Amino acid sequence: MAAITDFHMDDFDIYSAHSQLRRPLAWSLGLHLAFATFVVLYATFIQSFRGEGWGSGGTGDAMGATLVSAVPLPANPTETTNVLATESKGLAKSEPTVQEKEPEAIPIPDKNTKTKIKPPPVKSATQRKPQPEPPESNQIPYGEGGPVSGPYTMTAGGAKGGFGFTGSGGDFGSQFAWYVQAVQRKVTENWLKYEVDPSIREASRVYLTFDIARDGHPSNVQIEQPSNVPSLNQSALRALQRIDTFGPLPPEYSGSKVSVEFWFDYKR
Amino acid sequence: MERRASRPSSRRLPALHRQREHNLSNAARPIRHHAVIAALLFLLAATSPAQDWIRTGTGLGVERVRLAASDFKSSTPDPNNVNLLKTFNDTLWNDLDNAGIFDLVSKSFYPLQEPGQPSEVNFPAWNSPPPNTSMLAFGNLGAAAGRVTVQGWLYDVKNEKSPQVLGKQYADNATPDAVRVIAHKFADEIIFRLGGGVAGIAETKIYFVSERSGHKEIWMMDYDGANQQQVTHLGSISLSPRISPDGSRLAFSSINKGGWEIMMYSFDLNRMVSFPRFGGMNLSPSWSPDGKIAFSSSRSGYPNIFVVDASGGNPRRLTNDQGPDVAPTWNRKTGSQIAFVSGRTGLPQIYTMEADGTNLQRVTDQGYAVSPNWSPNGQFLTFSWERKYGPGEPGSNDLYLMDVASKQWVQLTHDAGRNDFPCWSPDGRHIVFQSHRSGSDQIWSMLADGTNVKQLTVKGANTQPNWSWK
Repeated sequence: MAAITDFHMDDFDIYSAHSQLRRPLAWSLGLHLAFATFVVLYATFIQSFRGEGWGSGGTGDAMGATLVSAVPLPANPTETTNVLATESKGLAKSEPTVQEKEPEAIPIPDKNTKTKIKPPPVKSATQRKPQPEPPESNQIPYGEGGPVSGPYTMTAGGAKGGFGFTGSGGDFGSQFAWYVQAVQRKVTENWLKYEVDPSIREASRVYLTFDIARDGHPSNVQIEQPSNVPSLNQSALRALQRIDTFGPLPPEYSGSKVSVEFWFDYKR
Repeated sequence: MERRASRPSSRRLPALHRQREHNLSNAARPIRHHAVIAALLFLLAATSPAQDWIRTGTGLGVERVRLAASDFKSSTPDPNNVNLLKTFNDTLWNDLDNAGIFDLVSKSFYPLQEPGQPSEVNFPAWNSPPPNTSMLAFGNLGAAAGRVTVQGWLYDVKNEKSPQVLGKQYADNATPDAVRVIAHKFADEIIFRLGGGVAGIAETKIYFVSERSGHKEIWMMDYDGANQQQVTHLGSISLSPRISPDGSRLAFSSINKGGWEIMMYSFDLNRMVSFPRFGGMNLSPSWSPDGKIAFSSSRSGYPNIFVVDASGGNPRRLTNDQGPDVAPTWNRKTGSQIAFVSGRTGLPQIYTMEADGTNLQRVTDQGYAVSPNWSPNGQFLTFSWERKYGPGEPGSNDLYLMDVASKQWVQLTHDAGRNDFPCWSPDGRHIVFQSHRSGSDQIWSMLADGTNVKQLTVKGANTQPNWSWK
């Protein structure tokens, strides 16, 4: 109980001390203001009597100031061959001064301030939709390939990437399926997968086009649609560059060349 | 507090999502436009006589061609046919089996009615199980009055509309040797067609050193080990036979009164022809694709690599060290690089350099590496390597394959005695080498991936094989 009363007493004392300080503070403020007013008034009025004639021309001391230019002081060298050192503007344009941007202040972590944790932007439950199962690679199991004139022997110019239909432009694929297979095998053999960046696990498909001349020589190799992995594009081009010939086109074929669109799928 | 802060953002997300969906539907519109344009283009292309297109890619199940080789039938009543047919069928089968690009369908799966003529091909019987083949080789052979006529076809039996890939007719004397050559030629035609324009090796030769006559002489044989015959009769020691790119001359090193010298045999003249003597010890010649010869010579002190013209003139020194530098081999595709063996750092290692002697690079990093040979496509080196060399080190001489650009290597032979002197076949699919796996040094061949190992020689000791260029 005694402690509580003591506490109240202390509390009271602090407040009384505050009220005691109020008067001296008022005095202090008043005197400071008075002094400041005195200084300003002295500067504006009193000074004008004392400092009359300083640098105002007329007679007397001011002469020294005008003579200064005539004093043979060591002059600044006006001509300099060092263009960079001169302050005068040269013919060459000086570089614009780069306004250095102040680095953005990084808030110092403080344990008192609450940090906001940003939610990951994409991987939110509201955004995830039921995705369809990725289609199986269209690799044909051994011995179940079906007729060789199947899906991968496309014909007819124009359409892109379609399967299974033939146009009247020619039916190289169905007539010489064995040649198409030989091309496919040879390109695949010469494609060295280790040339692709080893950190890549999967890449989008790269489409190459090239022509096969009658003697089987590939030419005009171009990337029709690049992959998102440059090293895959490069490895695909190199595969074609390694090939000297696919073997002469079938003698029964009347055309002078065959155009090939070849894609490369990469999956580690 | 935290919960309050996160709430607005979670409220915002569905809005974002909606916006993205909206963008997608916007993007779908041009795609539909493109589809219409593509369809129009296709119609245009279909109506005009367009360029033929092949559309294909990787991942479509690259596998060996499934090929059936039906026994050829007799087309004449000549009693000689039986022997000739056996020679022909065996040779053709072996050639196709050795090619390394076919999956030969076992003969036990074949239908009972084997065709001898195109009209006799029963497509469903071949293109469905059990044979389930995609290619069928068949034909007939007939001898009459000392001449033999062979007709052979290759059919794509899964393509009944236009099945014929190949149709050939051959005529020659009715001897087993001639029939074997015909079978080689027909096999090479099939391999050339189905193998992407790479000529078959059925007609190639292998040169090697054999001491079955009592001396180490140069011998030659067909690629399958048949038809072995002696080339040189010098009665001394002859080593390192190397056939010229055109197959007309054979360079080798032989010891005579003056020491080891490079010698030359001409197949045009069927005799030895003169070649300059360089003095010192001259070993291991090697032909460049354009006919120059590199070899190791100690004519100026230490054994170094020299290059001379095909006639032996204009010798130029490529390496200049205490060596010894031996066994040069040219990049067979470009002729601009030479690989060789050097002992300049102690144990022999493989080095490569440009054909003018610059840009010297060490290829192997340890062990004991010898006998480099450059692949026909210039991409690979094969060599004999004892990777852990020294007393107490387990390991043996095995053959390795190295990608010259990346210096990645694979081991080709395993646990099979000492293997040395690998040499590429001209099609780049085979390697012939010397192995002690049978208890004596013999010539063996294998596919370049190390599979399908076959023994080619049995008699005497046979070493240092060299495959012809074509």
